[in-house]
Amino acid sequence: MRTPRTVDGFVLLAAPALVYLAALYALPLVLLLLKSFNAKGSFPSIAGYTEFFADPFHLKILWRTVRVALLTTLLALLLAYPTAFVLARARGFVQSLILLALVLPLAVGVIVKTFAWSILFRSDGLLNKTLLAIGLIDEPVRLLYTETALVISAANVFLPFMVLPIYAVVRQLDARLPEAAATLGAGPLFCFFRVIAPLTLPGVIAGSAFVFSMAVSMYVIPSLIVGERSQTLSMLIARSYLFLRDEQLGSSISSILLLIAVSVVLGSSWLLRRLSGGKT
Amino acid sequence: METELIAPAATTILTGAPSTQDAYLSVAGIAKSYGSQTVIEALDFHVRRGELVSLLGPSGCGKTTLLRLIAGLVAADSGSITLGGRELAHVPAHQRNVSVVFQSYALFPHLDVQDNVAFGLRARGRPATGIPAAVAEALALVRMSDYALRPVGLLSGGQQQRVAVARALVVNPDLLLLDEPFSALDRKLRETMQIELKALLRSRGMTAIFVTHDQDEALAVSDRIAVMNAGCIEHFADPATLYARPATAFALEFVGLSTRLAGVVRHCQASVASIETACGTVSANADFRPGSAVVVGVRPERIRVVPSGQPVPPGWNAVRAPLTDVVPLGARTHLYGRAGKGNAAGASVGEGQGDGEGDRLLCERANTEGGMLGEAGSAVREGEVLGWQWPVADTLVYPAWTA
Repeated sequence: MRTPRTVDGFVLLAAPALVYLAALYALPLVLLLLKSFNAKGSFPSIAGYTEFFADPFHLKILWRTVRVALLTTLLALLLAYPTAFVLARARGFVQSLILLALVLPLAVGVIVKTFAWSILFRSDGLLNKTLLAIGLIDEPVRLLYTETALVISAANVFLPFMVLPIYAVVRQLDARLPEAAATLGAGPLFCFFRVIAPLTLPGVIAGSAFVFSMAVSMYVIPSLIVGERSQTLSMLIARSYLFLRDEQLGSSISSILLLIAVSVVLGSSWLLRRLSGGKT
Repeated sequence: METELIAPAATTILTGAPSTQDAYLSVAGIAKSYGSQTVIEALDFHVRRGELVSLLGPSGCGKTTLLRLIAGLVAADSGSITLGGRELAHVPAHQRNVSVVFQSYALFPHLDVQDNVAFGLRARGRPATGIPAAVAEALALVRMSDYALRPVGLLSGGQQQRVAVARALVVNPDLLLLDEPFSALDRKLRETMQIELKALLRSRGMTAIFVTHDQDEALAVSDRIAVMNAGCIEHFADPATLYARPATAFALEFVGLSTRLAGVVRHCQASVASIETACGTVSANADFRPGSAVVVGVRPERIRVVPSGQPVPPGWNAVRAPLTDVVPLGARTHLYGRAGKGNAAGASVGEGQGDGEGDRLLCERANTEGGMLGEAGSAVREGEVLGWQWPVADTLVYPAWTA
């Protein structure tokens, strides 16, 4: 039984964080939304949105952004899933080493990492040199400025955000469950698809939501890897604000991007709730 | 006439064991080490079809490792495992048809009760049409039919255990292994479940091996019990034999209670050894070389406590010792006596025995109308020196170095 005094205390503790979030996060978003409806002079106006959807060039960019984000998420998942298991099985020093290898690059910063990737991808870069050396190709392949390069480097940058949620779930996995499955007659494949995959699904969903939201709104990586040749939505937003000086268009595109990211997050939240509410 | 008993190494001592011909499960020469630590070394173990067997021992004795070796969850370093004529050593766990009920039950949390039970059938590719009937039958066997659609997280411990058993049995395994299946249940439920499970397994003629550290559990459910210690089987016999004539001092101490007296064999003639202990000289039907250091054991219900000085009937042993504790236990009473250090006659005790530490006299009396001391009917005082008498035939003797 809590006394009213205790409850008041907790609310007071949360107040600074709430004020911070309201002032520096919620408020600017609201202003952004308002701005998207604010043509120079008249309010409200949906000119920003109509301008965006009318131009096939814009739609192409929208589709490209979503496609790249999906591919990035998929690649990150394929790489992260086994990594999470290796991490969970590792002990002591090896485990610390892997965790360090995952987290340290985040400290380096996305710009430095992306530059490193762009150097790797160059025609005279390490990747091409290696492929030539082992004889897989006869002449340097153009990797830089391609969507492939973008997906690879983005997946690499966002990898920790996929590994850690899956790892958190794998850690909790009862080691006896695959053993029980085996003694009941389940071969490795059946055990994976019917026991391990369903139980790690919450981690996969959480990780995918993280990576997708980050990949759909990334700015630095596409700017450095693909540049002006194949823009993404975030680059379009930057262009609208900085180059075209069309704030309404920029805000409108921002709102659309926000909508995509928010729906992914809400959708995965709902999925997670459904998964845990059902069978536990 | 001096017969020397060469103390047997603590390998399997099989009493009434099947010959390897009629054994259903045969484990031969199995060994397992983890790094430099040897858990099991050259162990032999045979179980008949339809038998219920327990592996009983303290933590770290290797019983769970042996279970996992038989299940295929861990690979042996050497040796063979044969089930119904089939060599299992290189067969992966999912192809052995050996089901396991784990200590924590290991029910799949993302599936409900009937999907859990159906899991093994689906994994083995049984036709989907036959599965619901098989699941229903298995659930009826364990009386969990009403819980078919319940998520397993909402079940009580006893209910989870029953689902785990149903899940293990529905696939019709050749052998059922149970790793301390009752340890997570409270006392009252435990006994009910033990009786139920034993009846269930009997009715299906299922061969089963239990792992437990609880001797009451082993005695309750088993046809035979294998007492294990440090990776070896000390004695493998039916409960009655194991209790009355344990083959080693460890088995004596681990199953049931016992008096324990350190002693030295003074002479031995015609298979009757005369042993000097701290509280008197006792005889036993055993062959030992004079001078051997031994440990004498007697089951508490074979001893009677009488006033000191009372004559000793022929064919009985008698020692004198002060009464130290009287422990009333409802239907029976335990009387403890101090066995003393050193030796009444002043002779030294053999090397390796220490100073008789751990020695105790224990008598168990049923609380009948005559009171605690049968004949005399008089009350006992703690500290009073009394006579402790028992038949020579009930004296158990073991080499001291195995105790």
